[in-house]
Amino acid sequence: MYKYRRTIMWLALALIIVLIALSIYGAFIGAERAQQFFNQPPLVVYWTALAALLIIGIAAFRRLLRVPGLLLIHAGCVLILAGGMWGSRGGHNLQKKLFGIDKIRSGRMAIYEGKSDNHVALDGSREQKELPFSLKLKDFRIEYYQPVYLQILTHEGRQWKVPVEVGKEFPLGDEAGTIKIIKAYENFKIGMEDGKSAPFDDPSPGLNPAIEVQITQPGSQAATQYVFERFPGHSHDQGKFSLSYHRVISDYISELQIIEGDKVVAEKDIEVNHPLRFGGYHFYQSSYDDKAGQYTVLQVVSDTGLYVVYAGYWMLCLGVIWHLWLRHIFSRFKAKST
Amino acid sequence: MEIKYTIQGLLVYMTIAAYLLAFVITILRRPKVGHALYLLGFAIAVCSFGYRWYHVRHVPLQNLFEVFLCLGMIYPVSLICRKALRVGGYAADMLIGAIVLFPAGFVFNAEPQQLPPALQSWLFTPHVAVYMFSYIFMAKATFQAICQLVGKNPKPGENLLGPEQATYRIICIGFPLLTLGLFLGSYWGKLAWGDYWGWDPKELWSLASWLVFLGYFHFRYMFGKKHPRMNSLWAIAGMAAIIITLLWVNLSRLFPGLHSYAT
Repeated sequence: MYKYRRTIMWLALALIIVLIALSIYGAFIGAERAQQFFNQPPLVVYWTALAALLIIGIAAFRRLLRVPGLLLIHAGCVLILAGGMWGSRGGHNLQKKLFGIDKIRSGRMAIYEGKSDNHVALDGSREQKELPFSLKLKDFRIEYYQPVYLQILTHEGRQWKVPVEVGKEFPLGDEAGTIKIIKAYENFKIGMEDGKSAPFDDPSPGLNPAIEVQITQPGSQAATQYVFERFPGHSHDQGKFSLSYHRVISDYISELQIIEGDKVVAEKDIEVNHPLRFGGYHFYQSSYDDKAGQYTVLQVVSDTGLYVVYAGYWMLCLGVIWHLWLRHIFSRFKAKST
Repeated sequence: MEIKYTIQGLLVYMTIAAYLLAFVITILRRPKVGHALYLLGFAIAVCSFGYRWYHVRHVPLQNLFEVFLCLGMIYPVSLICRKALRVGGYAADMLIGAIVLFPAGFVFNAEPQQLPPALQSWLFTPHVAVYMFSYIFMAKATFQAICQLVGKNPKPGENLLGPEQATYRIICIGFPLLTLGLFLGSYWGKLAWGDYWGWDPKELWSLASWLVFLGYFHFRYMFGKKHPRMNSLWAIAGMAAIIITLLWVNLSRLFPGLHSYAT
């Protein structure tokens, strides 16, 4: 029995060392290739062997059964591996073969404002699948940190950062003069007015954020300039200043409705870190229409195996904390009280 | 290398100076004065971290400058190790404090940044904070492992553990924090990116560092103190993996990934 246990320990150590080496290799090849690499058949054999060894270890070492912390740690690892394999692409294929469960593992869907859709473009293929319910995008919006700043740089290297507050004038010192923010545009366009070209904020779909500023240099007349967020070099340089205007995104928000039949069964505004959970799927804010802000792109992920993995995480964390911290603290208190 | 002519920079340099002075004075056998200077350095480090927090208006753990600022508040770890674990190494802690603050003072950019949407989560602070604490503990464990390798033992009257046992005890404190960091990061990854494991280089290196310490526990369980040098080498390898996770992954172009905002 001693030899048998010794062999298990050596095997465990060998598998840990192999996983260290594989993790380091995976880090060098990048996330996408690493994901493919760790899902290849030889690695599936490795994961299965690791899970099997953990189970054999729990059965062979009485200490693992008697010491609650160690049991939680090892059983937690088994659950993480089992949940991970069950939720993998291979796991989904197996569920389809064995139980006829045909669930989308992961994919993306683009939904236009005011429209509903249930088509998901599957990740890693050109195939599309339908969800058993539809999602309607009520509105998509981007929020920015306030205040937004205009950066002013002179050729001599002097710089200022002034908040974009319409109507406000900022002094830049005796040599540079003043700068006034005249107007902020969401979708800057140029049209004709009384035979002259004139800028206007176009309400139709499109994004071309810009600001209109008036620079008054000492001894000269006020000059108007337009500073574009998307075309940083495209400001009519008066020779003295270089202007730039950049808004920092604080959030992306998609206002969604879930529709089953003709009925709205759920509503949620999804943001980064606040996904929508419905019908065995999680929906994440993934991308958006950066040209006109008309549609959102959602990432759709199946929750198969997820809660098994979470249970494993809890067991692993509780086990480690209990075994390495709490039981020593409690025994110290016990010893003190007796 | 750049010198920061700001209040923030001044606070960092004052902390480094206090830690270095504390180290020199402790080495010169004036432990009480050294300890007082160490405490002073810690107080300035807390002020520096608080000032940064006020300045950027979010918990300053977003980039490498802020993370190293946090690592500079090493004193509580020294205290826990001394009082609860009977592990010495105060002088080394002073030096570690100065070393970790050096890149914050002279290398990393301190330009304040607003939090991108992915970092606006309740998990941001606990995930990074537990990792920072675990890294400080593991750095201390590595120092003890090096002491074991070079045969430096505590003096008989000090009532301190030998370096092999001290390494083990500190790793026992740091490992649950490392586990918690991995678990919180994975849970956060699921909320923000849709997957609890994205095979990102930073994730894989942090898994590798966790696995090295797991290997340490298994090896030590198998052989006990029969091969103390091997035990120490496991601990040092773990710290090397941590340094790569913390620095190389963020600074090198070899590892592009989702954690790149931490640079």
